[in-house]
Amino acid sequence: MSELTLLVLQLGFLLLLWVFIFAIVYALRSDLFGQRVRKLQPDAAAVAAPAAASAFPSSPVPAAAAPTAPVAHAPAASGGANGELASSENATRLVITSGTKSGAEFPLGHDEITIGRSSDSAIIIRDDYTSTHHARLMQWNGRWMIQDLDSTNGTFLNGSRVTVPTPIPLGATVKVGATTFELRR
Amino acid sequence: MSDARPASARTATPPEGIRRIRMPQKLRNLEFWLLIVACFINAAAIVLVQLGALGRVDTQLVLLGAGLSLLVFGLHIAMRFVARDADPFLLPIATVLNGLGIAMIYRIDIAEGDAGWESAAVRQIAWSAIAIICAIATILVIRNHRVLFRYTYLAGLVAIILLLLPLVPGLGREVYGARVWIGFGDIATFQPGEIAKIALAVFFAGYLVRNRDSLSMVGTKFLGMQFPRARDLGPLLIVWALSMAVIVFQRDLGTALLYFGLFLVMLYVATSRLSWVVLGLSLFIGGAIIASQTLDYVGNRFANWLDPFSDARFNADPGGSYQLVQGLFGLANGGLIGTGWGQGRPDLTPVPQSDYIIASLGEELGLAGIFAILALYLLFVARGFRIGFAGQDDFGKLLGVGLAFVVALQVFIVVGGVTRVIPLTGLTTPFLAAGGSSLVANWIIVALLLRLSDTVRNHPRLVIDG
Repeated sequence: MSELTLLVLQLGFLLLLWVFIFAIVYALRSDLFGQRVRKLQPDAAAVAAPAAASAFPSSPVPAAAAPTAPVAHAPAASGGANGELASSENATRLVITSGTKSGAEFPLGHDEITIGRSSDSAIIIRDDYTSTHHARLMQWNGRWMIQDLDSTNGTFLNGSRVTVPTPIPLGATVKVGATTFELRR
Repeated sequence: MSDARPASARTATPPEGIRRIRMPQKLRNLEFWLLIVACFINAAAIVLVQLGALGRVDTQLVLLGAGLSLLVFGLHIAMRFVARDADPFLLPIATVLNGLGIAMIYRIDIAEGDAGWESAAVRQIAWSAIAIICAIATILVIRNHRVLFRYTYLAGLVAIILLLLPLVPGLGREVYGARVWIGFGDIATFQPGEIAKIALAVFFAGYLVRNRDSLSMVGTKFLGMQFPRARDLGPLLIVWALSMAVIVFQRDLGTALLYFGLFLVMLYVATSRLSWVVLGLSLFIGGAIIASQTLDYVGNRFANWLDPFSDARFNADPGGSYQLVQGLFGLANGGLIGTGWGQGRPDLTPVPQSDYIIASLGEELGLAGIFAILALYLLFVARGFRIGFAGQDDFGKLLGVGLAFVVALQVFIVVGGVTRVIPLTGLTTPFLAAGGSSLVANWIIVALLLRLSDTVRNHPRLVIDG
């Protein structure tokens, strides 16, 4: 083996080592620089806007039904007979009641559920009103509590802003950004 | 998406809108390709050592290394079944570091003419095999890290017993003045303190999750910082006393620094009170100053650190700066790209394959190689912190941070000591240095971090795009 061959092999080895490192760094780039902000495609937004505009005058009922339904629910939930607090025994799912994923369900287990824009969250809401770590649902003595994690736009339970961890009644409306959800049996 | 599992037990199919952010097998496939590169790097390192030092290729050790690669792929396959959402980078990084260590130990064997079971490299390969089997066992047995939370105090007890084992007469062994080994018969075989650091991390995490409120909320304000009550200070003082006892009775500065640093960082992460860190650091510095005045070997380390090149220190025996200076000369001889595998003289430094493996690697791989190794450690530790950051439960968060930090601090203490940033203390470089107990402990740390990262990702998610 000549000196030169060994030198070339040594340089090749160091290069390989650094290629390995940069391969890892490249695969990690979303961790280092954050998630890419996804914007609505301009044509998709253009299609959505007239569709909404035309839907509103022609059929006001479904368009109006979505936002008003939870509001109608809220007083019933907060007051009187239906005001049972959600606990690990009686609540099994979280249902989205308004927003783009209206109707979607999320199973409630025993773990806490984090809500926010970050991809670490259990419920990831990517809109203009949601903070990176916005709020969390946690169990406290078996009861489901909502805690606001110092979010910019706040978390609302039955229309009032949540400042301290608050127990959630079954069927009460929780609002995060433009999304509302409730806990159901 | 063939591998989409039902998100809830009640419904057979995932409800609409629930999906996984990342497809788990995608992560495992990424890991597979990185592992292939990692194994190629390791094989190339051994072949280059043989070309540089012997001038020919000897297939025997390459075959032994290939056997080790098979075990690593065994761990990979086990993860495809029981931890499919685990982090894909930890395993390849650990593999490369382990392989570079084996290559350098083999290179020093060649220089010293060791072969067969006399050869430290063969023993290192055997220990790596045991360590990886331990990691596979860990990931198969511990299916949920929260199981460890139940055994908080048991872990603390195990840690203290492991720490005290070397002091048992007949079992403990003294090597280079430090009584941190246990052995049977004439051979010193195992350093229980390495395993103790994992048990301590589990104990600290569990203890702090249980008691963090009283530690962070209560106390008196002084100098703009909140200082804790005396009764909450108890655990801090106990750990401090324990690490000072390690210094005095086992003559092992590095381990004491490691345990105390681990405890301080986990305390800080759990309570976010700077006062704990200030208090802890002043306790440690106070203890270290007293130790350097009263204990000879600690005082020697300080003197070597401040003035290694003076004749008096260089020629002092025992406790001179000969090793430190040889290591520095080795690093200087390496220069930017090193002398090349097998072409330097790392064997001139005492213990070049364990405490001083960083200086040996620095000589043969140069600054470019040392920075690559440090970058690998950086990525490893960053992944660990990331796992801790993304964790769902407080115990998992603290354990992830603690385990990652223990690796980081160990690298800092060793590399800092060799490069004369801090006084030299004897600790093993994680994954690189020759030593079975260190390998077993670090591979178990890898398995635990993999398990944590799997639990972090492995829960249903709902994505709402506004």
